[in-house]
Parts: sequence; C-alpha cells; structure tokens
Amino acid sequence: MTIDKSNKYDRQLRLWASTGQSNLELSHICLINGTTTGSEILKNLILPGIGNFTIIDDKEITTNDLAGNFFLTNDNIGQLRASALCESLMELNEDSKGHAITDSLDEIDDSVWDRFNVVVVSDYIDPEFLDTLKTKLFKKEIPLFIVNTVGFYGTINLIINEITVIETHTSQLFDLRIDQPWQELSELSDSYQLDSLDDSDHAHVPYVIILMQALRSWSDSHNGPPTTMTEKRQFKKFVQDQSRNFTFETNFNEAVSSVFRAYQKTQVPSMVKSLMNNDKISDKNLNNETPFFWILIRALKSFVELYGNLPLPGTLPDMASDTNNYITLQNLYRDKAAKDKELFIEEVKRVLTIIGRLDGLTALEIELINIFCKNSHSIHVTSGSSQMTSKSLLEQMLSNKSNDYDNEEYNHLAIYFGIMTFNHFIKQNNHVPEESDYDNFIKLFSEVFECHPDLPLSALKTFKEIVCHSSSHYHNISSLMGGIASQEVLKIATSQYVPLDNLYVFDGIRSQSDKYKI
Amino acid sequence: MELLGKIGPYNEVADEYDAAASVEALSESKVLVIGAGGLGCEILKNLSLTGFKKIHVIDMDTIDISNLNRQFLFRLKDVGKSKAEVAAKFVESRTQGVEIVPQFCKIQDKPLDYYKQFVCIICGLDSVEARRWINATLVTLAGEDIIIPLIDGGTEGFKGQSRVIFPSINSCYECTLDLVTPKITYPVCTIATTPRLPEHCIEWANEIEWPRIHSTKFDADNPDHVEWMYQTSLARAESFNITGVTKSLTLGVVKNIIPAIASTNAIIAASCCNEAFKLITNCNPMLDDYMMYSGDESIFTYTYKNIKKSDCPVCGNDLKVVKAEKWWNLKEFIEEIKHQKDIQMTNPSLSTKFQKLYFSSPESLRLATEKNLQMKLSDLVGDEEVIVTDPKLPISLRVRIVFN
Ligand SMILES: [Zn+2]
Repeated sequence: MTIDKSNKYDRQLRLWASTGQSNLELSHICLINGTTTGSEILKNLILPGIGNFTIIDDKEITTNDLAGNFFLTNDNIGQLRASALCESLMELNEDSKGHAITDSLDEIDDSVWDRFNVVVVSDYIDPEFLDTLKTKLFKKEIPLFIVNTVGFYGTINLIINEITVIETHTSQLFDLRIDQPWQELSELSDSYQLDSLDDSDHAHVPYVIILMQALRSWSDSHNGPPTTMTEKRQFKKFVQDQSRNFTFETNFNEAVSSVFRAYQKTQVPSMVKSLMNNDKISDKNLNNETPFFWILIRALKSFVELYGNLPLPGTLPDMASDTNNYITLQNLYRDKAAKDKELFIEEVKRVLTIIGRLDGLTALEIELINIFCKNSHSIHVTSGSSQMTSKSLLEQMLSNKSNDYDNEEYNHLAIYFGIMTFNHFIKQNNHVPEESDYDNFIKLFSEVFECHPDLPLSALKTFKEIVCHSSSHYHNISSLMGGIASQEVLKIATSQYVPLDNLYVFDGIRSQSDKYKI
Repeated sequence: MELLGKIGPYNEVADEYDAAASVEALSESKVLVIGAGGLGCEILKNLSLTGFKKIHVIDMDTIDISNLNRQFLFRLKDVGKSKAEVAAKFVESRTQGVEIVPQFCKIQDKPLDYYKQFVCIICGLDSVEARRWINATLVTLAGEDIIIPLIDGGTEGFKGQSRVIFPSINSCYECTLDLVTPKITYPVCTIATTPRLPEHCIEWANEIEWPRIHSTKFDADNPDHVEWMYQTSLARAESFNITGVTKSLTLGVVKNIIPAIASTNAIIAASCCNEAFKLITNCNPMLDDYMMYSGDESIFTYTYKNIKKSDCPVCGNDLKVVKAEKWWNLKEFIEEIKHQKDIQMTNPSLSTKFQKLYFSSPESLRLATEKNLQMKLSDLVGDEEVIVTDPKLPISLRVRIVFN
C-alpha cells in the first residue's frame, strides 16, 4: 500500500487492516435505482475505496429527485439519473471506478449480474421483478440488499445463501490452556518456585503461572478442578491466600479477578463443533467445487481429531509481570501457535489431495489460513433465506408481540409489512399512497398477504403514519438507512464482522429498531 | 415540504400543529453545528437538505489527508485549509437558499452571548473536553431561563450514540460522564521499568524520553517528530525483545486515534438531525433521550432515558461524596479524583472555604500550595465542602470527603 493510501485510509485500516482493505478494493457493488438512499450508500462505500460501482437506472432526473439528493443539482435536470450520479459520485474518490447502465431492468442480460459482489435495490421496483431478481441472484450466490425508506421509517433485507466470516472481531476470550498446558508450558510453570522467590520477584510472576500452579495443587488434593459454585469460591480464596500482600501484589489481584480462566475448560465451542459436522464436508459431498472456507473447516475437523483442540491463536493478554517473565511466556504461546499452524496446513493439504487439487496453496490462501488459525474459535456461519416474508412473521405482526419495545401504539413489524404494501400500492396505482388512500391501503395489505383486514391498533396507526408521511425523500432517514446499509455492505465486502441476518426495521419516530430472521 | 403537510397519528401536539408554521420555523431557526469533521460534514448536508436555512458551523481544525476517507466535503486540494470554511462553502454551492456562517476558532473563544442566538445546537465532536465545555455553558444559560437544546452525537468504529439534552431539564452530558471510556493509561512503573507491550515502549518515548531530550512540545502533525517517536519506541522495544511497534501503532497511541468510517458518521449524524427536525417542526415525538447504535455484530440499537443526577457538578444541587482512605495524603486523593470515571479532571485545583488546598495553576499558587500534597488529607480537611476545579472546564465540583 502506498503511503498516501495508508494515510488516507488510516482510520478504517484500524478496523479491518490491509486484508479487509484489499477485499474492499476488489469488490464491485451494483445499485439499482439512483435514489437519495442509494446515493448515500454509494457515498459511504466510495469514500473508503470500494473498487467498482455500477448504477442501474433508466429514469431521467426530475425536480423531485433533487429534493433530498446531495449529489444532484439543478443543472442535472433532464439528464439520465445513472450517468449524472455516477459522474458526481466518482468525484469523491479517484480510487473508485463508476459505471452507469441506463437500460431498463428487464433488458439487462443475465450475465451482467456476474460482475457484482453485492447488489442493492433501493426503494421501488416492480415487486414481481424483485421476485425474479431475488431468485436469480440467490442461485448465483450474489448477496442482495433491499433497502426501503418511507417517511420516518426504513427497512433492510439481506437475501443471501450463506454467510461465512472468519474474522468476526467478536471474541474477547483468550485461549490460555491453563487447564491443559502443553509440555513446554507445563515445564515453564514448574520452573517457578514461588516460595523461594524474594518479595519483588514474587510480585512479578505472571498470573497465568500462578493459576496453573494453583489449579494443579487444587486438583491433586480435590480429585480434579473446581466445578461447583462452592468449590469455585474456595478455589478463588485459595489463590488469594497465596499472595504475600494482596493489597500490593497486582499479579495476585489479576489472578483472582481472572480466576475463571483457570477452571474454564479448554474445548471446541459448540458452534464450531456443529460446523465440523456440516453435511457440506462429508466424504460424499466434498469435491473440487467446495469453497475454500469449507475446506478449512474439514481440515479443522481432522486437526481436532488428531490433536484434541483447536489451533492455538497464540495471543497473550497483558498482565502484571516483569519484562522477561512476560516475554518468555508470550514466546511460548507464539511458538506453539506457529507449530499448530504448520500442522494445520498439513491437514489442509491432505484435504486438497482428497479432492484432487494438487497445485499447492497460493500465498493468499496461506494468509487466509494464518487468519483462520487465529480465529477458529470465533468463526461465524449462518444460512440465509430467499424469502421476504413468512406466515409466522405475519402472525407475529398481527399479534403485536414482536418485541419488548412494542405496545398497542407501536409495532415494528407493521412498519415492514406497511412498506411492502406501499410498494404494491405504487405498482397498482402508479403513485405513492396519500392520506386519502388509507382504506384502500389496508384493503391492499389484506389482499397481498391474504389475511383478515381486522388489524391491531398498532398496525393501523403505523399504516396511517405511512400514508400521511409517504415521502421517500426525507433526507435524514435516507442518510441513516444509507449509513446502516453501507455498514452491512462493508462487512460483506471486507469479509469481516458479522452482518445482519436478515431483516432490519428502523422507526425514526422513536429512534428504535429491531431485527428478525425470516 | 411533503413531510409537514399532514398530521400523523403519532403527532403529540396535533391540536396546535400548523404545517405552515413548521415550514417557517425550519427556515427561520438559527442552528449551530459544532465540529466540521466526520459528523459535522454529514450534519451540515442533512440540515441543508431538510429545510434549515440559517446555520453556523464552528471548528478550530484544518483538513488533514486522513480525513478524506469520510469527510466528503473535502478534497485533496483542500488539505491544510479550515474545515469550517471549506465545508460551509461546499454545502452552500450544492444547495439553494441556505446560508452557512463558518467560524474558524475554538468554541471556548466565543463569548456566552454568541451562543444565545441559537434555537438548537448540534454537536459532532471527538473531544470529551469540548463537549463538557458546551454542556456546562448551556446549563449556565439555562440558569438565565434560556433553554437551548443540545443534540450530541459520537462515533467509534461501527458504534455510535446520539442523545438529546434539554439543559437543566433532563440528564446532561456531565451526568453520564461515566459512559465515556477514559483514555487507556499505563502505570508509570510499567512504562519506566517493566514494559511488556509495544504500547508501553511508545508511551515511554512519548512521556519520558521526549520531554527529557526536547524542549519543544511534541507535535503529532510534524513528520519529523513522529519519525523520532517511532524510532525511539522501536529501539526501546528491541532492547526488551518486544515486537509489534509500527508507525501506525505509534501514531495511534500518541494521538489517541479512534477508528472512524463514513457509514457510522452518516447513521449518527442523521439520527441527530432527525431529532433536530422533529424538535423544530413538532411533526413527531423526539428521542427520549439516548440511542446507542452498534454494528460490530449484526445491527443493534438500544434506546433509553438517562437519569439526571442530583450530585451532577453541572446540573445538580447536591454535594458529591468521594470516599478516601484515612492514611491518604492530599496527593493520593487528587489521583483518586483524576481517575474517577464520573469526575475525570486532568489538572484539578482544590480549595475549602478556609484555605487553598492545592492549585495546579497559576505557577505562583502552585508553588505556594505544593507543600500540602504530602500532608495527610484528614489533617487538612474535615467534613467541610471541598471545591474542585479544572482550568480547562467551566465546572466547579462540590465534594464532601468521607473517610473509610
Ligand atoms: Zn448533569
């Protein structure tokens, strides 16, 4: 990376590092409809340097478009929205390349979609076409965001087959193996004779060693580590009692406050265990089409079978200690992590041989393995859905019990169903609903979702709010939803952090929100 | 304005609501934006696209290259210019009939009267100190029956928060100071004798070596200074076999850099401006009074009302009780005050109605009171009120000491 780039992107590199940045720079996002919200989404992706963006829009710019869009001016009236916006947005960052497609959606060739890593639909497109597009992209495994804003309300759907994230940045846990030290760690621990140390040295023994010794002597006299609440309490006191002066020995204070790390069993988290049993990596399903992520999971399975644990991440938290004690301990963890990684690579190679890939690992794959070994305890996988609604979601809305925030006045899911009805209304009537359309709006809702029009008060009020404030140009909500949607796109594009799964609803009246899985 | 013409079902003042009056209020209300950085750029854009016509913006900073990944009103050619001035000009050029008055200075430089002209203040700052200053200033104005709502936003990485403060009416910024994560500090003995992390080595270079070697103040924007800091930290780390000192980490530690992206600024700025819009137009109820947003793991928001503290040094009336050990000297007590999450003062001065206990400035008073630092606290103070002030904050904290 050039100095200019590392300066320019400094504040975001601290979130996703150069690996995330290069993923972002290789990404191509497609926006359908050059709306205000859509422009805001693109702005937030172009600034951090997304590689390419394409706007698909066949409409001409009207005064209506100018109302809330910062990237269009009076001079643009009459021009094609896709081209004018593309030009205006490109100005934000020379590292991002923009493209405009001014054909109507149904004229677009199927192969065009293959260019994109992410597709975003902003506001209205024909609900029937949306259905076709959804199915098409789902089949192609291209993530699709559907972002809608009406008045003070906004919703986001993420339609995606499967999300796999290695770097989730979620785990605050350290894998220290206090209960299962490997040989070198055990030997290091044994080399400390706490009783014979002078007071200064005694106050500089890292708490990992203190806990390891305490756990061993406790286990010897109690037939195993502390398990019950009472035993855990006693163990804590046992640790504290070994301090010579608890007020001043910071290391013993830390040992006591981290005492859970001693009796916490080192094991494979259940989430990871279930991944290792996924049918995708069974002998009959594993083949040369299997994505690299799942090859790593298969290799992880063999690794755990052979060595009993996940590869050691090798990170040691800071702890009271002198420099030497700490660095020696840290090197032990790092060496073990490096060894585990080599052993893990052997397993990956074995899996590749099984599926007939004999060309060796690329540098990029090695880098990925590196990251994988550091994060294997906190990897994240969810399978998505191509559906936008379900019977139970509708029932939840009608029963008005979707969450703690809702009451007889407010109903988050009614916002979502209201916005879908809003788009159906446009298709049926060629204009957005107004206050006078309230009764028709309710009727349309019950037709589209095949249910009785007898709605709870909270849903009626929500629908009323939608028809009263039916503008999609209220800039604050466009900007807010654009911000949220772009965060989610960034997570997909960088392959880091856990994205939405899979429906999000924002209520700008109360500034509250909720999410649902369809 | 499409949004204001109709009265929605959640409008709380439906009987008095007047659409024309709301439209006029938007164009006539003078609002102040504090900060023209990541949040400020967004706030200016949002206000001017939602009907606000009279805007002031104040920022003391100039544009740096590392701003360009999110501060979309600035281009490479603007580096070095005033943020407030460039931002104001840019937004004016993109919108119609909006007047934006830039102020290229510190908020502390403006007199109290300056702030009285605004109907609402929106704050998008990354400085806790400046926020405390404007908060305290507005609570002071509330004492003169001038209530100027403060809408405050802040972000860090994928997270952020927005809140609405009606000075003296609901909880103020100072009431919830303990929500602010204090800057990470390391014990001096760790830095000086037992470093373990690269950060310890950088702090050694920054806090111990720089003042020992140089007579000038360290300037994080001076490349030569930064290079010296990096090389010195690196040499220190190597001598202790510590790995991981990089230039980026060095800058991160000495400048206390907080990660930032455009997306999060957009979310929080829009939330703040949505509240400002509702405040001025009355078209829908407002946030009551705090929303936190987190995109770290899926999407999560949490909305709640903070509690107004009766012992808040800014908006409360009660004394704040601080516990002290019997054996402490004054210096140890001052350290305690500096580090308490809900006080956080860097250079406190203390006095009682009988005497000046310790004054951090001016120098003559510091010398005169310095001898008290080593004296036993319980010999200096009984149960009388202690006033604690800090030269950087317009706050006087009233404390009662309770000995353990
Ligand atoms: Zn207060």
